[in-house]
Amino acid sequence: MIQVNDVCKHFELRDKKTRQKKRIDAVRGVSFRVSPGEIYGLLGPNGAGKSTTMRMMAGLMRPDSGSISICGISVSENPEQARKKIGYLSTDLNVYARFTPREYLRLFGEFQGLDNRLAEKRAFHLLERLQLSDFADVRMAGFSTGQKQKVGIVRALLHDPEVVIFDEPTTGLDVLTAKTVLDLLHVMKADGRTVIISSHVMPMVEEVCDRVGIIFDGRLHGDASPREVLDQWNVRTLDEVFFSLAATEEVA
Amino acid sequence: MRGALLIFKKELMEFSRDRRTMFFTLVMPLILYTAIFSIMAKLGRRNDEELKNHPSRVALVDPDKILTPLLTAPGSKFEIVAPPQGDLSKAILAQKLELQVVVEPNAAIRRGRQEPVTLTVTRDPSERASVLAYDRLEELLKASDARIVAERLASLHAPAALVEPTKVVAVNAGDQGRAVTKVLGAFLPYLVMMMMLQGATQHGVYTTAGEKERGTLLGLLSTALPRRQIIWGKLLYIFTMGVISALVNILSVAISYAFWAQPAAKSGNTSALANPLVLLLVFVLMVPLGLLFSNLILLVGVWSKNSAEAGTGLSPLVFIVLILGVFMMSPGVDKMSLLPYLPVVNVSLAIRKLFSQQSNTFEYLLAMTMTFGIAAYLTWTSTRLLNREEALFRA
Repeated sequence: MIQVNDVCKHFELRDKKTRQKKRIDAVRGVSFRVSPGEIYGLLGPNGAGKSTTMRMMAGLMRPDSGSISICGISVSENPEQARKKIGYLSTDLNVYARFTPREYLRLFGEFQGLDNRLAEKRAFHLLERLQLSDFADVRMAGFSTGQKQKVGIVRALLHDPEVVIFDEPTTGLDVLTAKTVLDLLHVMKADGRTVIISSHVMPMVEEVCDRVGIIFDGRLHGDASPREVLDQWNVRTLDEVFFSLAATEEVA
Repeated sequence: MRGALLIFKKELMEFSRDRRTMFFTLVMPLILYTAIFSIMAKLGRRNDEELKNHPSRVALVDPDKILTPLLTAPGSKFEIVAPPQGDLSKAILAQKLELQVVVEPNAAIRRGRQEPVTLTVTRDPSERASVLAYDRLEELLKASDARIVAERLASLHAPAALVEPTKVVAVNAGDQGRAVTKVLGAFLPYLVMMMMLQGATQHGVYTTAGEKERGTLLGLLSTALPRRQIIWGKLLYIFTMGVISALVNILSVAISYAFWAQPAAKSGNTSALANPLVLLLVFVLMVPLGLLFSNLILLVGVWSKNSAEAGTGLSPLVFIVLILGVFMMSPGVDKMSLLPYLPVVNVSLAIRKLFSQQSNTFEYLLAMTMTFGIAAYLTWTSTRLLNREEALFRA
């Protein structure tokens, strides 16, 4: 289970012209809860605060205020224990190009405390599922973005995490592979895992997510099922929710 | 500690997958230094031989023929050439001749009156051939003067000892081997420091700022591995690569030295270099120094956004070590009382003293403790830095 309580995060960027620091409030009092067996979609345009929120959940960033707990473990107080429960994937994350997927995944299995054989077995199973097993012993230097993304997905799921945090999981994937990833998310949901994803691809979100939270300008607008959100905003697609939010922001 | 060893294993695996880097780290120094040293040694020897066999060209102005017979005698290593047209200094600089000797007018009369004869010698102290010609001339004149003095004393029925009130007998306490050891003692710490730093820097930047740049560090930090273990594993790798790099380079220099050094330089007692205890103490001292360098590289690497920034950040460090190394090679520097209290410098000093067999236990232990202390503090700082999100997401 993921519990996010009134989390805030700001950054300070220096203005090159005025040499003064500019405060950017990336996340402003975001709260939500995702239960086991649920897929939660965190949606929003670029710079809305999705990735920052997910990084805070993965223990890669510290919130200024508020708290996050993963399966009852406070991420701020016990980040290592919390990370054991998390499978994290981000578009910023790359693979070791000099390794083959087998070597890379075996190593990451060991980092997560897995036995060598078990890590390899799980890795191979997941690679097969993502149609990458034929490339298990090929160096990743020549891999496409999609192939690297698949290896990244396997790495995130290797230690059988209770909580899965995927930031843009279908980026760089073709339609067929994206479908495979979505199927995988459904399997994880059926296994009782807590899944949180972020995406720009709204049809995918509408298809897989049980609930969605729309982040805009650091604030969470709505936390309901995709259908309820559409009804609430009186629109037909989730994209239109963004347009409405942007229009509201401009008026304000 | 398991996590640190896993990180170390991962770094070694990455290194072993890159054959070109492996070649440049492990093989290239052996080939390059041996080749450079052998070419330099061969050229040096050939130059020496040529200089020794070649007569020195002298432009001689000797109206009374006082010096001419000496310079043109059979077996003389001088060749009389015509005085150059125009600027004499330029002619010497252009290596058209090595010396010009001008004997004062009326030299024969002065000699007859037993008055000193003045010779004006123009030479170029920066040119080996000119210096050698001057030495040859001095030796020749010394022998000639000795003969003249002996003849004059004999004509006065005075003993030869009359002009030699003091006779100096020099006894060497050390031998040439000790002198060689002392020179190497000053040179080796510098070499080791530079090689260690240079070797560790490249690998250190690759594994810290480079990993950030390639987007792989985020994956590592999202695992359950504690940050301090990630830091220790990377530190161990940087240190190992620094040591390996230094050892390969020293081995290369040693091989070159063994094959190409002048036989005179290799003769004598070089016991400190061959003394296992001295070598062990030197190696033990290299551990904290290597850790200190590795930590500095790690700290800069963790803080930097990318390899270029890390490389720029580490340039002053390389420059400082370079300056310190040159400073430590200066003669008499080991007598300065403040040096044992200066980090890095005190390690160099301790090694220098070990090789010159003037080791001081207090200074040795102080250098070791101080360097270990600073290295430990830097490890702690790097871990704290890696825990800060700015290390990963600095804009």
